[in-house]
Amino acid sequence: MTPPDSAQFPAESTSALQSHGVVIARALSQRVTTADGELAILSEVELAVKAGETLAITGASGSGKSTLLGLLAGLDQPSAGEIMLLGQRLGDLDEDARARLRAGRIGFVFQSFQLLPALSALENILLPLELAGRADASTRAAYWLDRVGLAARAAHTPRQLSGGEQQRVALARAFATDPEIVFADEPTGNLDADTGARIIELLFELNASAHTTLILVTHDEALAARCQRRLHLVAGQMREAAFA
Amino acid sequence: MTFARLGLWLLRRERASGEWRVLLLALIIGVGSVSTTGFLGDRIKRAMSEQGASFLGADLMVTSPRPIEDWPVPAVESGALATSQALEFASMVSRGDAFQLATLRAVDADYPLRGVVRIADRPFEPGAARPAQPPPGSIYVEPSLLPLLSASVGDSVKIGEATFRIAGIVAEEPGQLGGVFGLAPRVFLRADEVETTRVLQPGSRLTYLYQFAGEPEQLAAFSAAVKPALDSTQRLIGSREGVETLRGAFANADRYIQLTALISLLLSVAAIAIAAHHHALRHYDQAALLRCFGATTTQLRTLYAIQLLTLGLLGSLAGVAIGALTQQALAALILPGAVTRLPSLGLAPVGVAIASGLLALAGASLPALMRLIRVPPLRVLRRDLPPLPVAAWLSAAVSGSALLLLIAWYAGDAKLVGGFVGALIALVGVLILLARLALVAGRGVQRLSHGPLRFGLAQLLRHRFDSTLQLGAFTLALFLVALLALVRSDLIAGWQQQLPPQAPNYFLVNIAPHQQQAVAAYLSEHRLKASALYPMVRGRLVSKNGVSIAETLPEDARDSNTLRRELNLTWTATLPANNAILAGRWHGERRADAPVKAIPKVGNPLSAQADAELTPPAGAPLLSSDPSAEISVESGMAERLNLAIGDQLGFQVGDQTIAARITSIRSVKWDSMQPNFFVIFAPGQLDALPASAIASVYVPPDATDVLPGFVKAFPGITVLALDKLIANIEAVFAQIIGAIQLLLGFLLAAGMAVVVATLLASLDARQQEAVLLRTLGAQRAYLAKGLWSEFIALGLLAGLLASACAEIAMALIANRLFELPLRLHPWLWLVLPLGGALLVGMSGWLTTRHITRVPPMQSIRALN
Ligand SMILES: Nc1ncnc2c1ncn2[C@@H]1O[C@H](COP(=O)(O)OP(=O)(O)O)[C@@H](O)[C@H]1O
Ligand SMILES: [Mg+2]
Repeated sequence: MTPPDSAQFPAESTSALQSHGVVIARALSQRVTTADGELAILSEVELAVKAGETLAITGASGSGKSTLLGLLAGLDQPSAGEIMLLGQRLGDLDEDARARLRAGRIGFVFQSFQLLPALSALENILLPLELAGRADASTRAAYWLDRVGLAARAAHTPRQLSGGEQQRVALARAFATDPEIVFADEPTGNLDADTGARIIELLFELNASAHTTLILVTHDEALAARCQRRLHLVAGQMREAAFA
Repeated sequence: MTFARLGLWLLRRERASGEWRVLLLALIIGVGSVSTTGFLGDRIKRAMSEQGASFLGADLMVTSPRPIEDWPVPAVESGALATSQALEFASMVSRGDAFQLATLRAVDADYPLRGVVRIADRPFEPGAARPAQPPPGSIYVEPSLLPLLSASVGDSVKIGEATFRIAGIVAEEPGQLGGVFGLAPRVFLRADEVETTRVLQPGSRLTYLYQFAGEPEQLAAFSAAVKPALDSTQRLIGSREGVETLRGAFANADRYIQLTALISLLLSVAAIAIAAHHHALRHYDQAALLRCFGATTTQLRTLYAIQLLTLGLLGSLAGVAIGALTQQALAALILPGAVTRLPSLGLAPVGVAIASGLLALAGASLPALMRLIRVPPLRVLRRDLPPLPVAAWLSAAVSGSALLLLIAWYAGDAKLVGGFVGALIALVGVLILLARLALVAGRGVQRLSHGPLRFGLAQLLRHRFDSTLQLGAFTLALFLVALLALVRSDLIAGWQQQLPPQAPNYFLVNIAPHQQQAVAAYLSEHRLKASALYPMVRGRLVSKNGVSIAETLPEDARDSNTLRRELNLTWTATLPANNAILAGRWHGERRADAPVKAIPKVGNPLSAQADAELTPPAGAPLLSSDPSAEISVESGMAERLNLAIGDQLGFQVGDQTIAARITSIRSVKWDSMQPNFFVIFAPGQLDALPASAIASVYVPPDATDVLPGFVKAFPGITVLALDKLIANIEAVFAQIIGAIQLLLGFLLAAGMAVVVATLLASLDARQQEAVLLRTLGAQRAYLAKGLWSEFIALGLLAGLLASACAEIAMALIANRLFELPLRLHPWLWLVLPLGGALLVGMSGWLTTRHITRVPPMQSIRALN
């Protein structure tokens, strides 16, 4: 079963590609049809991220950053182009196969935290561990809650936590499964400057010690500057790919 | 952790969040009301057939002219069925010079198995329940026998060679209704003393009565096995057949209970559907997050299926428990006298209730959950992304088939199911349309209003979809509750019309032609209200259009009672009260040209009855009379025997065959307590036959002392007391009415569940808006008034729509389903809108009250 546009990865074996990076995108385009006609959200994006790298995707609001992140993480399918994620050609995989690929190997941090309101801080960290079927799930969850400095708040539900605390739980949740890649979509977008700065410190600290690949969407210049590489989007088009 | 366990874990965690609670509550109310109606309906049905059984004296009875030795079913030997035997035969009873033919029933100690025999010390006294088997050497007799023999209680009489003491008067006995006319007076004696009389000779006409009582399943198995083994001289009679008079009331109550169970079930299904939809809506984020963390479709399906199943089981069990408890209390409250042995609560109804709870939950919530599973993982980034649409036909098919199964299960009756489902679909369509129209009209009102009212109405109009849903749901709930309340009061009114306060309570049978004037004079002298006197000739229907009647019927219909039994034939020019012509023309005065010549009197009535047990003579009978004679036939008989206007019928009367043409079909109110007839001839055809007459009369309670004098004055006339029967009918009605009232209470609870579920589903949006408005400076009182006006407007509108729907529906079903007259209900238009406004206003205020109280800051955080 050959995907229609497999020609975009000519003659290269999967293992050979892996050396180029854990996330690779070729000629990635996303178009949607709206009431006003066809709308190009992303056009011909090229990207390769190596293991352990940190990449910032920047751009104005509405420039297509979240769309790109979603495509790279396999949450959506592109209109055109190819993505290799963790050595797998996403075009070959169906929705469920992509989900299995993510389980335990990819962590997420969201702008709006996305903790389950019914679960305690500890249980929210436990959730992806359980989903990935980790044997030592509870000890790991407790360890990671401690790592983000919230051991004392284990039984508190998200409602009882401040925004900064919620995002710390979310960071612990993202890193708890020892993922190969962490995707973060404007992790400081809902936080005040001080709290945001502390979250960024924590994010980079966790990332450094876990040697995780980090792909980070932000329009915060300071945050982008801390990443090794940077991809700037303007109206869905790559404008510069600067290396720090 | 498996996904099943994960599902349970999340369920346990979310228990406190309260989102499941609405669904669970709706389910508990639904299953609770369904199982209550189910349990109770079942018990009432059983209580009613028990009433029927008490008329028959047993659940089942087999009559045979010969003893039956080998019962084909082991149930009889194994003792699963209670049995009793009686032997009935005619014999002379004498005292001194006086002789009288009597119907003797020799009974064993167990007779009757159901119902009671009341024995009194003096004639026309109520008496006390006692075994029908008299003490050795004595007999019990019917009151009419005493004047015929100039005897009183305590005297001795002779039957054959044996002498018996009259130990009591039979005041009431089961089976009084079965072919009472023309019977010689009843005498009970002991089965072990029949021998001593030596009246039974080879060739004597005997009827062996075998009675059976037991659980319905065993009875059904038994009658299925026995039926084919019976020959044409033997009959199997069920308890329902024993109460022709109550049949109409039974059927109506049966239908009504079915309808109520069905409707409360559907209301709770609506509540569950709304709650499930709301639940799914609030879990899109969770599902997206789980997918994002790597859960596959199958895993999500497992997770939610387990949650649903757990909830379903929990809710159903709780509902069943509630149902069992309430029905137990209700049964004790309303069925104390009626049911001698309360049928036990088996495990079967529990299984049924749980299965129906799961089915209802599945039907109501699967479409919502199917959407939940199709939430795209990308929703974690784009929060407004809706789930992929589920094909409409698929969700319709899933919930449609589950609900149909449920409806079919509960309604049983295919016609009822079909009519109901059709009506429901039409209703939902009409409701959506009406709700939309009403909202458009609301816009006009809103323009003219101001302040909080204007704001409340604006809310209503802004959320058109939500408002349509809420209005539709409230209307549905109000409509269904109103409908059943209406049907109930119409049913009761209908019954009361059927049993007027001065319904005849005695039948006078066997009035000889020469006595008729004297009887009429005696009655008017004592100011007793009597029906017309109907002359009566006994005859059997033998042919239709020259062909033996049996041959015109399918195999299974040949067994009909109407064919076997002799019919009471009468003639009159005036259509009796309580009769109505359904087809053709009432014959009136038209006379046949050639009356049959007089034939000898048909011997004693008893032998005429015994003759009825014989098979009709073979071959087409000759038509010996004027074929243009006209008759009117009762509609039920016409239906059973496939008779139509213009058919030529042949009747065997004595040794004569009489032909007549059907010129009209009549409906008859069998429970009117008047003499009623299957076949009425035009005057002129039967006049020459020697006929006794029958009449019914109302004797007020304070005038019963007239009766002994009447019996003395007219010794040949049999007086049959109907008070007991009437009291029984009234008891049955009272019980049914009580039960129906309580069933309505449950229906109301189910309706409330719909209202609350709908309101709770709208809570999030309302809270969001309230917070926004308060942040913008709206006063709490302003918000509260706005909410009140919105809910009251909704309730009023729903009440109006429901009134319209209820009137239309009543008009449609009143005569179709229950054969009740059409009536309008003007008060409905006042009560429903007011009740709706109150109900929705109150529950709306109670469910949403706190959103105006919470400080905006706290609400904003809670919403995040
Ligand atoms: N499925 C879609 N349909 C219509 N418009 C979309 C869709 N997905 C994204 N867009 C639009 O594409 C643009 C880019 O969106 P997004 O990737 O969320 O931007 P960013 O994250 O950079 O703010 C926005 O204008 C958004 O409204
Ligand atoms: Mg974005």
